[in-house]
Amino acid sequence: MSPAETRQHATFTALLWALSYPGRPQRLPAGGRAAFAAIAEALLDLETGAFSPDAEFAALIARSGARLLPPQRAPYHFYPAPEADSLESIAAAPVGSYTEPELGATLVLSCHLGGPATLTLRGPGIAGSVRLRVGGLPEDLWLLRAERTRFPLGWDLLLIDGAEVVGLPRSTAVEVG
Amino acid sequence: MKLAQLAHPRQDYSYGFLDEFGKRELRRRMLKAVAIPGHQVPYASRELPIARGWGTGGLQVTLSLVGPGDTVKVIDQGADDSVNAANLRRFIARMTGVSTTADTLAATVIQSRHRVPEERLREGQALVLQVPDPEPLRRVQPDSSKALEMHADADYAQMWLSLYEQLVRFGRFVQGASYPVLVHGRYLMSPSPIPRWDTPDLHQAAHLTLLSAGREKRLYAVPPYTDVRPIEFEDVFFQVEQMVGRVCAVTGARNKFMDALPLAGGGSIFRISDTGYVAKLLDAARGKPATIGPTYYDDEGRFFQPGVLRDEGQARNGR
Amino acid sequence: MAYVAARGGEQAILRAEALHGRLRAPLSAAIVRQIEAHLPYLVDRVMGEGSLYAPELAALALAQSGGDLYEAVLLLRAYRSTQPRIAYAEPVGQEQLHTLRRISAAFKDIPGGQILGPTLDYSHRLLRLDLLDGLGGPEHGGAPSSSTDGAVTPAELPQTPPGPSSPLPAVADWQRASGLLATLPDAPAPDPAELPDVTRDPVHFPAPRAHRLQSLARADTGGALALGYASMRGYGLAHPTVNELRLAHADVLLRHPITGATFSAGRVRVSQCEVVNTSAVELRLGYAATLGWNEVKVIAAAMLDLEMDAPTPHPAHREEFVLYHTEPVESSGFCIHYKLPHYVTFQSGLDALRAVRAEGSEGSVQAQSGAEEQA
Repeated sequence: MSPAETRQHATFTALLWALSYPGRPQRLPAGGRAAFAAIAEALLDLETGAFSPDAEFAALIARSGARLLPPQRAPYHFYPAPEADSLESIAAAPVGSYTEPELGATLVLSCHLGGPATLTLRGPGIAGSVRLRVGGLPEDLWLLRAERTRFPLGWDLLLIDGAEVVGLPRSTAVEVG
Repeated sequence: MKLAQLAHPRQDYSYGFLDEFGKRELRRRMLKAVAIPGHQVPYASRELPIARGWGTGGLQVTLSLVGPGDTVKVIDQGADDSVNAANLRRFIARMTGVSTTADTLAATVIQSRHRVPEERLREGQALVLQVPDPEPLRRVQPDSSKALEMHADADYAQMWLSLYEQLVRFGRFVQGASYPVLVHGRYLMSPSPIPRWDTPDLHQAAHLTLLSAGREKRLYAVPPYTDVRPIEFEDVFFQVEQMVGRVCAVTGARNKFMDALPLAGGGSIFRISDTGYVAKLLDAARGKPATIGPTYYDDEGRFFQPGVLRDEGQARNGR
Repeated sequence: MAYVAARGGEQAILRAEALHGRLRAPLSAAIVRQIEAHLPYLVDRVMGEGSLYAPELAALALAQSGGDLYEAVLLLRAYRSTQPRIAYAEPVGQEQLHTLRRISAAFKDIPGGQILGPTLDYSHRLLRLDLLDGLGGPEHGGAPSSSTDGAVTPAELPQTPPGPSSPLPAVADWQRASGLLATLPDAPAPDPAELPDVTRDPVHFPAPRAHRLQSLARADTGGALALGYASMRGYGLAHPTVNELRLAHADVLLRHPITGATFSAGRVRVSQCEVVNTSAVELRLGYAATLGWNEVKVIAAAMLDLEMDAPTPHPAHREEFVLYHTEPVESSGFCIHYKLPHYVTFQSGLDALRAVRAEGSEGSVQAQSGAEEQA
């Protein structure tokens, strides 16, 4: 296994388990912006497309061969430094259709795990319920998510803090507080 | 300069056989499958050096899932040592360098055709089921585009009708293996041709189940702790296969899924289908060290999660 | 050797494979080169169904499989799975083909002329028994070739030079200009990266045109023929005429990543066929093309293309039916998979059957797992 293959495999398995057990942090092989780069490397190539409002990160996406797409067409969104106006492009992210729900986007956002807001999560991958403390995300993200998620439609969130990733698939019911 | 000089030289196969593009594509689809439990996600399904219909769907998932630290178990009809299981295990090991095992407890990834092991799977384990036909609606709707619409609308009326017709004609449900289930209360799903005995194992399970159909190019998933309910009526219940009165000729055990072996003079003897489990029972009987995990069904035939099999009493005491 | 209960299954596998190998003559690089040189049409068929243009590898696949076509196609397809996609080739128009053979059944003569080219169509199918006795004359008739082994290399064949002022316009172009065929929409050539790709997306029905043509290009020759022949014999609604059949070499055109200039990365043998339906008020076209020279396949596939567009096609000519069931790797693989053990599902079906009998209902239940769900 080449170093790149090792990195991509480690990243993928972290994401797979993050989405399989929503709310439970998994470890990525790199931290911070490098964690975002690792996810892009593991998932993107010239057969897909992505969006990032971050110019530097967009250049990295382009180097992977993936097409840079406007937010409403991009299956992958990367927000290494989400800000209040990130909500605009997040709101535009595809949620899929009833015949092709898998076209709902994957959104990768940085956050602070252990932050102030407490969420209660329920759904597939969770035995009963689990609580998640998370901050550093655009205000109203949870409101917007509740609006846009109508299972099986919706987006799948990957929340990054350092080298930790928490998955929140569209199947997870999120209760704030 | 010639073009041949620019092209990369003919090389050995990548890790896991598939090139990076192939693995990435599968990985993208697998993540979506986990996010939408029970929904069939289309994928490219590349050809592998194993004939189509021989587990290439499961194999593609396994090859893009495992790393050198994994331990893989491969079974066919519950057996680790059948030629097909041996061949798939040999291929996975050759292409990825993983270690292999027959012990369900020692495996991180289990690829299976037609069975779930008897010992309960735990958190962090992945069960990869090979699927010949991913479409549970095929019997009532052979046109795949129409079946897709029915899934989109969660319109499973025809399926319920067919279940009702079985009751009227035969007095019970006549589906054998591949008994259709409703996942997360939303998607009708084929659990692959596992016997009904194994169907409840997927309900609120600790492990992750990935199902993949290579020929039909669809993969889907049951995440851990997800509702998986066989379709049944309020007053007529789903029933697992009858194992009452069957004693394993090798171990003397009861209430596990048994293979029937016909005898020349008529009649049959029985043997537990899960060969990895049998090996450990035999080791324990001979006083060798063997760690045997808790099983889905206890020695009296009770399923470990109470209330999941609503017909349990009937199954245990004979119908 | 009992195959299900084979303990130490790995030993059995290795020995079975070795025995299979011992029943044919040993392999060598020379044999592979001979297959490539002597059996170009067989190599073409494997490349077309394998959807990988690599004559040397197709010949190797044939040698390795002992000539089992489905095995050879699978070998090539499996190798293809390991090859990364490094670029998208530019579209090649008919007028850019280096055509060697081009005939039309629809007209006595056509603009650019009929070119008989390489064919056995009008040969007398007599076995050359004299060859067996070593008494055969020169193999290539009276025209000795310049190359040393007697075979003609493609570069030596007479070809019509391609170009914008090509003397071999498509017959369909003439029909369009004459108002017999609907004109093509005035759309720019699609970006090859945006084309639906059957090796990347499963087919949904109705299939995008690209998926249909790609599936037909990869289709099993025998499968396409069987369904196409059913149409020809009268199960179909179309009454087609071969508008044009071509065997040609096509340049694989790539765009230079830096200069943007288009260049040829090499040439591949291609065949294509256009058929027209003459029974309707307006002519309609059916089309198929494939890698390699395989006339039976492109004629049958072009007719199926036309048939699938009929308003109410015969069930065996519906798009889903045709495209799914002519897939050589999937159909042959699934066929032989019935050799695998199915005793768990069989047990499960028997259990259902016994339970029904015990309840004294209709005795003739066909346990559903037994019939269709076993795989």
